[in-house]
Amino acid sequence: MHYDLIVMGMGLSGLMAARTAAEAGKKVLIIGKGMGCLTLFSNTIDVLGKIPEEARLKDGLSQWIQDHPDHPYSKVGLIGIDESLSSFTSLFQSPYSFQTIGDRNSFIPTGAGIMRPTYLIPDTMVAGVSGNKKALIVGFKGFRDFYAGYVANPLKWRGVTLSIPDVPNQEISATALSRWIEKRSFRERIGEEVKKRLNGETSVGFPALLGVNDPMGVKMDLEEKIGVEVFEIPTLPPSIPGMRIFNRFKEWLIRRGVNILSGYSISKVSLKGRRCEGIHVHHPPVSTLYSADHFILATGRFMGGGLKADRRRIFEPVFNLPVSQPGSQEKWFEKSFFDEHPVHRVGILTDSSLRPIGEAGKVIFENVRAAGTILAGHYCLDEKSREGIEIATGYWAAKNTFQI
Amino acid sequence: MATVNSKRMDKKTWPKSNADVCIRCATCMAVCPVSRVTPLFPGPKQAGPGAERFRKSGDSSVDEWIDLCIGCHLCDMACSSGVNISELNLMAKAKYLDEKGRPLRDWFLTHSFLFAGLASFFSAITNFLLKNQAVKWIADSLLRIERRRELPAYQSPTFRQWFRKRPSSPPFEKGGDACLPLGGQGFEPYSKDRKKVAYFYGCYTNTNEVDVGKATVQVLEANGLEVILPPQECCGLPMLGNGNFKGARKMGLKNVPSLLKAVRSGLDILFSSTSCGHMIRHDYSHLLAIPGTEEVAHHLFDLFEFLRNLRERGNLNIHFKELPLKIAYFPPCHLRSLGIGLPALEILRLIPGLEIENIEADCCGMGGTFGFKKEKYEISQEIGKDLKEAIDRLNPEIVLTDCEGCRMQIRHLTGLKVLHPIQILRDALSDTK
Ligand code: SF4
Ligand code: SF4
Repeated sequence: MHYDLIVMGMGLSGLMAARTAAEAGKKVLIIGKGMGCLTLFSNTIDVLGKIPEEARLKDGLSQWIQDHPDHPYSKVGLIGIDESLSSFTSLFQSPYSFQTIGDRNSFIPTGAGIMRPTYLIPDTMVAGVSGNKKALIVGFKGFRDFYAGYVANPLKWRGVTLSIPDVPNQEISATALSRWIEKRSFRERIGEEVKKRLNGETSVGFPALLGVNDPMGVKMDLEEKIGVEVFEIPTLPPSIPGMRIFNRFKEWLIRRGVNILSGYSISKVSLKGRRCEGIHVHHPPVSTLYSADHFILATGRFMGGGLKADRRRIFEPVFNLPVSQPGSQEKWFEKSFFDEHPVHRVGILTDSSLRPIGEAGKVIFENVRAAGTILAGHYCLDEKSREGIEIATGYWAAKNTFQI
Repeated sequence: MATVNSKRMDKKTWPKSNADVCIRCATCMAVCPVSRVTPLFPGPKQAGPGAERFRKSGDSSVDEWIDLCIGCHLCDMACSSGVNISELNLMAKAKYLDEKGRPLRDWFLTHSFLFAGLASFFSAITNFLLKNQAVKWIADSLLRIERRRELPAYQSPTFRQWFRKRPSSPPFEKGGDACLPLGGQGFEPYSKDRKKVAYFYGCYTNTNEVDVGKATVQVLEANGLEVILPPQECCGLPMLGNGNFKGARKMGLKNVPSLLKAVRSGLDILFSSTSCGHMIRHDYSHLLAIPGTEEVAHHLFDLFEFLRNLRERGNLNIHFKELPLKIAYFPPCHLRSLGIGLPALEILRLIPGLEIENIEADCCGMGGTFGFKKEKYEISQEIGKDLKEAIDRLNPEIVLTDCEGCRMQIRHLTGLKVLHPIQILRDALSDTK
């Protein structure tokens, strides 16, 4: 099969690249070894959590771009970042949409009991912003990924743990709990329980699993039953809000005729001179060749397998693209876990249109671009910029590919 | 009640466990349909790589819940680390059932091909019996086959009989130099002419949903292709799904030589059931180590994958008439696991007037024979409910899906008309139906 564009990687950057190309009417294949990292890291959209609390994002970003010329954001630029975020938010129409408050980072509570800055927030989390209200935090017995007290205590809120009547003494998974909450009868029971336990609180926080399909419906129904505002709190993976994002992209892409292949790895690429002609996808015992005019590599970092390390160096396994190295291995990590480790900043170096470059800045393949966290020059964990980088560079790579 | 067959396959042929590459990211936990509906199953992360670390070949199996894995492969497709989760589960299930013994019920459910011919021949009686409440009660209480489940009705003549007898039979069927008649010892090699294709129809098409086979033949012929039916047996998936590696391998050893013969005579082989197709293309070689499968796999195509390839080369007959229908399409798990995308959706979108939407749900809950088992029926229904809700949201006239198990389940859940996509494609190509 021949495509206009093949996107490798099914994280947010790959999905954004596929969306951007499909929106321009291109024939797209997106392929991932797994379903990407959305259910692993993402609940809200971080863009740049590191800027001063009161700063407007635009100002913070433009300062950041000035100070960090090699950062992925600097390649995309302010306008590109803005367009990409609009494209993302336009995919999520009411009732489950993303919003930002006053063009600044908002602080939302997390399962670890800290307030964390983030930029775009789903409607289900808005009522928890900045902890501006006294909240009651609700956990569930058997759901081990969220302890109400753990969240509530540091924030000087109160936590309660409800037992689930039908699953005594059993562990319950996030998806199972999320499905229970989608049932009206279940909500009736917990709504009543929670209401009884309110003691002057003006809002109630639940772990972020108010359903996969209609979280706003669930939230509003709970609010009606409890009588105060309800919000979701991000918790450990698998992230249900991440699943909602993934599902929405998938639905949209399928409707647009994008071919989605998840679960298979690329065994080989066919190269001709400075062009990539196709990829071989291996599903034993069959290997299939898919060809395309253009390619976008969005395979992520170490966890997703986009970057790999052996004893000597860090490498990129699909195209064997050059990776900026952190120096000799002793220098990969600093002594303290919390120090900044040089290994975090390694990645693929590119030109301003995200084509990978080698030494002396020479473009390696004319028709291959890289997007997402695989790029060099960022430390998204610390910058709190993961989703922003993914959205912006995924968009930018596709846009530059087709000069849209 | 255990059946005789409790010897395990030679372990050397079993795939290697790669549980140790699991990074415990829990992505697989986001997609497992079983752990979503019941706390009784701990989910892929725990059941697969988690428990595997504690499984020692000498020790007896302690995973009573392992039998609840429905074998949908959705976890495999979600895992970025490449853990073969569903395989680990299947092997653990085989070990557990080998030790514990298999109920006679499982034998019946996985050997229906043995009596399908007779059942078809006496379809009037069989179908009467299958619907009979007393019979269902007996099946339920003695065999633990859930009585609320409709048992599939048998049709007569079978697809194979129809194919042989139909008046429009191409000349090769009447013997002559091209091949020996079907039903005999197979057929002689053809010339290397790609204008002919072989068809693996599967048991269910042959005896229970004959029109799927008819539609397949009609569409292929409308594309100028001659269809050949190589001798074939049940692919063995029902056995494999029940952890019976040995029985499944036996079926594979019967099918592969016949399919290989077709391939070596220059034919591509098409399948209309994504479950049979997945079994032959991937499980035969990988799990069952059946010699010759790899060569077959390279020439084995999903029916719509094949039609999509025709279209890519500009050879697909697209003289469709308008079909003003509102349709919802459900991609079966085994189709997704084939890794070919959604070719049926791509082709059907070419039909003018057809309003077709993909159903956003992950598994129908039937799991082959899983949904027939009394102790698993509730789980099967709970998974199905989520699918039903997704279908209700689309409010279609007809539901299409490529797998017979999914079709059974969706009929059972919704009462809607449920077809194989090829039946709609045939309707779009024909003036008379
Ligand atoms: S099996 Fe794969 S998806 Fe599941 S936890 Fe392990 S690495 Fe993650
Ligand atoms: S194969 Fe399906 S049912 Fe079994 S563990 Fe994986 S996702 Fe769950």
